[in-house]
Amino acid sequence: MSKVLKSIYMPILAVVIAIIIGSIIMLATGFNPVAAYTSLFIGAFGTFPNIANTLANAVPLIITGLGVAIAFNAGLFNIGAEGQYWIGAIVGTWIGYYFKGLPWYIHIPFALIAAMVAGGLWGGIIPGFAKAYTGAHEVITTMMMSYVAIYFSHYLLEFGPMMEKGSVPQSPLIKDSAVIPTIVPNTQLSYGIVIALVAALFVYWLMYKTVWGYEMRAVGFNQRASKYAGMNVPFNIVLSLSLSGIFAGLAGAVQILGVQHRLYDSFTSGYGYTAIVVALLAKNNPIGVVFSALLFAALGTGSQYMQLNAQVPGQLTDVITGLIIFFVAADKIIELFKTMFKKQKKEELAS
Amino acid sequence: MKKLRAVLSLMLAFVLTLSLLSGCSSATKQQQSSQSNNTTQNAKNKDFKVGLVTDVGGINDHSFNQLAYQGIEKAKSELGVTVNFIQSKQQTDYVTNLTQFAQQKYNLVIAVGFLMKDAVEQVSKEFPDTKFLIIDSDITDRPNVASATFKTEQCGYLVGVMAGLMEKEKNSKLNDQNVVGVVGGMQIPPVDSYIAGFQQGVKAVNPDTKVLVSYTGNFNDPASGKQMALTQISQGADIVFHVAGQTGDGVINAAKEKNVYAIGVDADQNYMAPDTVMTSALKKVDVATFETIKNALNNNFKSGLVYFDLANDGVGYAKPIKDVPQSIVDKVNEYANKIKDGTIKVSDQVQK
Repeated sequence: MSKVLKSIYMPILAVVIAIIIGSIIMLATGFNPVAAYTSLFIGAFGTFPNIANTLANAVPLIITGLGVAIAFNAGLFNIGAEGQYWIGAIVGTWIGYYFKGLPWYIHIPFALIAAMVAGGLWGGIIPGFAKAYTGAHEVITTMMMSYVAIYFSHYLLEFGPMMEKGSVPQSPLIKDSAVIPTIVPNTQLSYGIVIALVAALFVYWLMYKTVWGYEMRAVGFNQRASKYAGMNVPFNIVLSLSLSGIFAGLAGAVQILGVQHRLYDSFTSGYGYTAIVVALLAKNNPIGVVFSALLFAALGTGSQYMQLNAQVPGQLTDVITGLIIFFVAADKIIELFKTMFKKQKKEELAS
Repeated sequence: MKKLRAVLSLMLAFVLTLSLLSGCSSATKQQQSSQSNNTTQNAKNKDFKVGLVTDVGGINDHSFNQLAYQGIEKAKSELGVTVNFIQSKQQTDYVTNLTQFAQQKYNLVIAVGFLMKDAVEQVSKEFPDTKFLIIDSDITDRPNVASATFKTEQCGYLVGVMAGLMEKEKNSKLNDQNVVGVVGGMQIPPVDSYIAGFQQGVKAVNPDTKVLVSYTGNFNDPASGKQMALTQISQGADIVFHVAGQTGDGVINAAKEKNVYAIGVDADQNYMAPDTVMTSALKKVDVATFETIKNALNNNFKSGLVYFDLANDGVGYAKPIKDVPQSIVDKVNEYANKIKDGTIKVSDQVQK
């Protein structure tokens, strides 16, 4: 129990400090932080539909965050989850509208699995093999593959093969048989949340209860030692990046089938990047990912409500998000503060 | 550890006290404003609530979100209606934000941008008593939804006429080659209608002019806009028209750097480079939002497609800089009148 407390203590402290600094910024710019945080909270959890929308926003963050966390566990920085998300979304959309007359219990799994395979190939085959056998850094390769994916979607939608007839650059709607049904009417919460939670449990089991997970984490700790211990390091690199891509791709498809129902022409979904923060805050623990994704989803939905009812610009939650990232990434600073306090205490005792 | 806790609690206490103070001040402000207008008409108008949902661009996009915001602000000061807005952060926010306004019994909800079409269709069905206005879309089958459509090919035509006539002029910014350029963002109809009008306008007054057209494929990358504009300028273009959102900032920069003219889009962009931006093709989203609010307030709301064109001042061009001779401006106005009375029909299809 104390071990759990210890591991969640730093992230929570980071969030609290970020919130306090956020309220100082609000005061300095002439807003009432209590009113702002109250409406932020009501917007995120105040009513049943709001809770549902927060959960709905958390779904893609949970699944993509799991993917990023797997790569982090293996010591790899998958910065291209955004692109793998797009590939999953593209494949999911295409299968969703192209195949007619399939029953839902075939159509939905078909779309999801195809998107997972596509995301896995996108993240695992090219960046994974490049890393394992030539040493090409995965930060560069996944990032570049991410751009390829995003621009590929522009090509498909702007007078390309996936554009709907008419004037708007978007894909056709997916067939009803591919739609993941909504749980709460008039909100965006679909059964995708179940997929996300099952995925989190699966990743937990995989990383902590299986040999594969153990090997991936060992490679993350120390590649040379794991090689010396007889583990196949290149295999584990490819495996972890593929898994990372598989989950990002799944997130894209779940979002299309559950919420958007078609692919829009857009620059970024943002989920791939926020997922990195989600994984960081969760310290790469799959169960932690669920909670940190919920936090960022709540900041997202809450901020919209906060704009409307407290007139605080929604960008302020971006500031808070940024501060959280800062304090999580720079937890050494907090450690430093702690040792400073300890030193002081010792001096007090000594004197 | 204990000390840390003490510091944290002190900070919290500090924040709470200050927030109480700021809470008081904002409450008094509200009282004052409500006292100042208390005639019955004003009270009725004040009960009329207008909500604006921007797309992901936000209200400072120098383009239609900002114009829509100006429109509701104008309605607030001139008609006394109550206005409020939410800036969407991502596409999944659209339904949620529209629903928020509808649930809080807003009379008119304005959605900016064709990307919100699905969201408006869904929410307007759930809230049949709320009226919706969507900018740049084509929802026609709902009694409570108006779709504002802009004939931007008409204002594109007018700035095209101006560019074509300017090519015959001589000054330090113009070269001997008869070439003008257009940098588009994505190759989508709202962009192409401007470009189509521009091509026809140039050809109408100066048939020999070569019009270079290229697309950057995005709306948010000034660097790529600059690159493309520099390419066009090196091919002889001395007037570049951009239809590319923020990407166009780079186009205007390139024109400024190479000492040629640029033409802005959507809003009057002269402030970005006062000597360079000779005029702008205007899509008056502010006029559209203001007019729709006014009509809805007077129980005159029209659903379906609502056209905004030269005739009802929904599109136009910004006041040109002094480098453009009055004779040319007169000529442009002549063409504007011909479009208004239907003598000239402008197509929205780009010539490839």
